[in-house]
Amino acid sequence: MTEELDPTAQDSDGGSEEVVLTPAELIENLEQEENLRRAKKGDLKVSIHRMEMERIRYVLSSYLRCRLMKIEKFFPHILEKEKTAHEGELSSLSPEELVFAKQYMANTETYLKNVALKHMPPNLQMVDLLRSVPKPDLDSYVFLRVKERQENILVEPETDEQRDYVIDLEEGSQHLIRYKTIAPLVASGAVQLI
Amino acid sequence: MDAAEVEFLAEKELVTIIPNFSLDKIYLIGGDLGPFNPGLPVEVPLWLAINLKQRQKCRLIPPEWMDVGLDLTVPEFKPCLGLCAASMDPLGFPLSLKIKKLEKIRDHERKEETFTPMPSPYYMELTKLLLNHASDNIPKADEIRTLIKDVWDTRIAKLRVSADSFVRQQEAHAKLDNLTLMEINTSGAFLTQALNHMYKLRTNLQPSESVQSQDF
Repeated sequence: MTEELDPTAQDSDGGSEEVVLTPAELIENLEQEENLRRAKKGDLKVSIHRMEMERIRYVLSSYLRCRLMKIEKFFPHILEKEKTAHEGELSSLSPEELVFAKQYMANTETYLKNVALKHMPPNLQMVDLLRSVPKPDLDSYVFLRVKERQENILVEPETDEQRDYVIDLEEGSQHLIRYKTIAPLVASGAVQLI
Repeated sequence: MDAAEVEFLAEKELVTIIPNFSLDKIYLIGGDLGPFNPGLPVEVPLWLAINLKQRQKCRLIPPEWMDVGLDLTVPEFKPCLGLCAASMDPLGFPLSLKIKKLEKIRDHERKEETFTPMPSPYYMELTKLLLNHASDNIPKADEIRTLIKDVWDTRIAKLRVSADSFVRQQEAHAKLDNLTLMEINTSGAFLTQALNHMYKLRTNLQPSESVQSQDF
């Protein structure tokens, strides 16, 4: 459980957020365990369980913190993606996160309006957040580890003199490459970002 | 990721301890830990081992590779019981064939131009934690520390050289097997940011309609 959460938590740039499967339920399970164990005597057992719980709590909270940081950084683009998502497609945000994102957007707009915009001349009072907030940079370089063997990944040239070439990704190998090339593989789980 | 987070991940590795208490099997969320009996070795995650050691409830056994002694698994090694030549040490083992494990790793790393596989994907963190908390249970702790530092320095130097050539030749892709997470983490953040900047500068040299630029 913790092993799956660990690598996905430390995602690199790209604004891709995966669906979080019931983190709230995980936390409830933890508290159940703790209560069960506390019933039995034995100071050592209780302290070991408590230590493990602290570790898991740390992983979960740092995962959540990472997601909230991404939401705050890219909020207009995320909300735009949510709006244009078709029905039936899974949202990449949990319901609480969606509420958080919407509130954050509303608060930012109110803040900008009250601090600066309402003092501007009437035709300049709108700010397009979608255009002014930087988009996630999908061309950034990332480190990745391959979980499933992939063939024929196209690598685009950096300079004009180079040609496109294809590479195979072997299982267990590690690479440094631009995010855009391997974005679908991250979504499908065939590679893991480091 | 910062170094503390990498160390946190390394703490999940299993190490062997010899407890001095007894406890029946415990069922943790991450897995079961076998019954603890005084004097019998048991495998536990590193975080638990360090904690028990600090409470003086166990003795730590160093992992097999953390060793600077005789490597008895080397096939050329044959103890001579009968005739002793002048180049034998008191135990009868030919001096020239004494091969030390970590030294072998260090020399191999220095010889090869690419990265060699490390005995553990978390060798740096394991060494640091075990030597800090349990150096009394580990023979030749100082030698181990020096050897591991040598290996680390060699690998980081190789990483620097290969990052330099990556940037110079403007490659689009690099394969880095056998690099541990701590090494990637140490130089990775700087490298990726530098590459991103360079990519932005490069693509702005080639005006094309596909490059979107934002107005502000």
